[in-house]
Amino acid sequence: MSIKPTHFKSRIWLVDEDNIDTDMIFHNKHLHITKLDEMGQHTFGNLPGWEDLPQKAQDGDLLVVGGNFGAGSSRQQAVDCFTALGIPLIIGESFGAIYKRNAINAGVALAECPGITDSGLTSGDVIDVNMETGEIKCDAKSITLQAKPFSQVQMDIYQAGGLFEYGKSVS
Amino acid sequence: MICRDHQIKELETILGQTIAQKILALHAGRAAVAVDELVFAKVDMILGTDVTVPLSVEVFRRMGADRIFDPKKTVLVNDHFVPAKDMKAAELSKTMRLFAEEMGIDNYYEVGRSGICHVLLPDEGLVKPGDLIVGADSHTCTYGALGAFSTGIGSTDMAAAWAIGELWFRVPGTIKIEVNGQLPKWVGGKDLALHIIGHLGVEGALYKAMEFTGPTIRNLSMDGRLTLCNMAIEAGAKTGIVAPDEVTRQFMSKFPELSYTPQVADSDAEYVEEHHFDVSDLPLQVAKPYLPSNAVPVHEVMGQQVHQVVLGSCTNGHLSDFQLAADAMKGQKVNPKTRLIVIPSTKDVYLELIRSGLAEYFTEAGAVIGPPTCGPCIGGHIGVLAEQEVGLYTTNRNFVGRNGHPTSLVFLAGPAVAGATAVAGEIAHPDEI
Repeated sequence: MSIKPTHFKSRIWLVDEDNIDTDMIFHNKHLHITKLDEMGQHTFGNLPGWEDLPQKAQDGDLLVVGGNFGAGSSRQQAVDCFTALGIPLIIGESFGAIYKRNAINAGVALAECPGITDSGLTSGDVIDVNMETGEIKCDAKSITLQAKPFSQVQMDIYQAGGLFEYGKSVS
Repeated sequence: MICRDHQIKELETILGQTIAQKILALHAGRAAVAVDELVFAKVDMILGTDVTVPLSVEVFRRMGADRIFDPKKTVLVNDHFVPAKDMKAAELSKTMRLFAEEMGIDNYYEVGRSGICHVLLPDEGLVKPGDLIVGADSHTCTYGALGAFSTGIGSTDMAAAWAIGELWFRVPGTIKIEVNGQLPKWVGGKDLALHIIGHLGVEGALYKAMEFTGPTIRNLSMDGRLTLCNMAIEAGAKTGIVAPDEVTRQFMSKFPELSYTPQVADSDAEYVEEHHFDVSDLPLQVAKPYLPSNAVPVHEVMGQQVHQVVLGSCTNGHLSDFQLAADAMKGQKVNPKTRLIVIPSTKDVYLELIRSGLAEYFTEAGAVIGPPTCGPCIGGHIGVLAEQEVGLYTTNRNFVGRNGHPTSLVFLAGPAVAGATAVAGEIAHPDEI
């Protein structure tokens, strides 16, 4: 039934900074963009040191972030830009409340994993993530972490591919 | 249309409910709801603006939806990039205008009759105590000042709400913020907000509702409450709420045709945290770059040179805010080395500014009065900061690069400090200029 993956194995980008807000992720000067294809190139355009992520990121890469990621405005481009880059999962210490629901609704996987930025992981490490159990592993560094798994409804929305698809599937 | 069986819980053990729980329960057709439970609830009003509606329209169309569940429960406001700052902004407003026409949305606010949404909606009687309100703008939490559950959503949410009239919510735990003491002269809702966020931190209330209570809140004007609740998101909160009381009833008496059901917390309501503040000696507050939680007493930053003061926004955009700033200026001119940009938040506030004589005073003092817009608050237009320029704004966020160049600095404060700073050309206390 599931059309979205719940298991990921890929390399990570670690953005070890708290309170990265939506203006750093997707600056307000690009808010006129509503087409997904055009969003990726502006990802982290206002986050010093990370402006080149769109050039460096490869399809399937994962993002690991600090606390309160996505604080600030409700703009959904700050979620959609990662979809545009092919980043299917963001793991963070915590997320801004609106950001979290935007991601769930848009069918982007988010995992809350307190302690992940202090676990010894660095950019380039390859990790295994099981979204059903919340288990995160990095075999090369012998690191095992436990993220909060999605609740059933959140998982249902994610697996359906977003809020609207979920609504259609149960109506 | 959505299956709820798997969420229904035995709630007989749930006793006291907070305002947030009560409003969500009522809108989910339930007697009570538990904290952290996921519910589907019907919304009373859906707000969209020129920067968030176009993306929602794309999602709406992609899903094959062709009508709004109830056009009367939808409001579309031109406020962020209007009057259109460039051709791309013009396209955003055009998309929203055509969508309003197609869907038969009467609550469409065009330039000239529009204003900053969070000042406009309460003044237009579009939000009421006890309502469940969602808006594709993070400061939608403002309407908690009226005793509503009101929260920001994204574009997929808005498209879904347009189509089916309900959304999922995780019932937030509530943090009780009790405030005692009489606010000193010059000190108002903004100082209170910055002080509280300074204590809690920018993620101190993440996913939680904040309920503001105590004698200070009961004595706070509706304008002050709107300012306070507007800033709840800056502590990470889903919403900020003030229990409806006599101040609320007075405010709503402007709309005798509207019926509403105020909700207050049960006496045995359970709070996840409680914080107590005594504000009898609270100094004027300023939040340093780059977080609203970097609040310090104004004296710690006095003397900081400021190139631009912005007075207005959804946080401090009422007539009382402009009056307080003018009082702090004491009839003096804007410092030659500083710019003062005054943004009346709506057409009505603009008219009040003219009729009260404040428009003439500000203009003669050397300020410029802009049209109602979010402009400078989002670094969009009408006052964007250059490299390494310093601003003092009555807005709500001072993130890196939000208001202009990434090296620009913005200090957040209330209207009294803004007025004094405009005169002094550096961050100042109104009693010391």
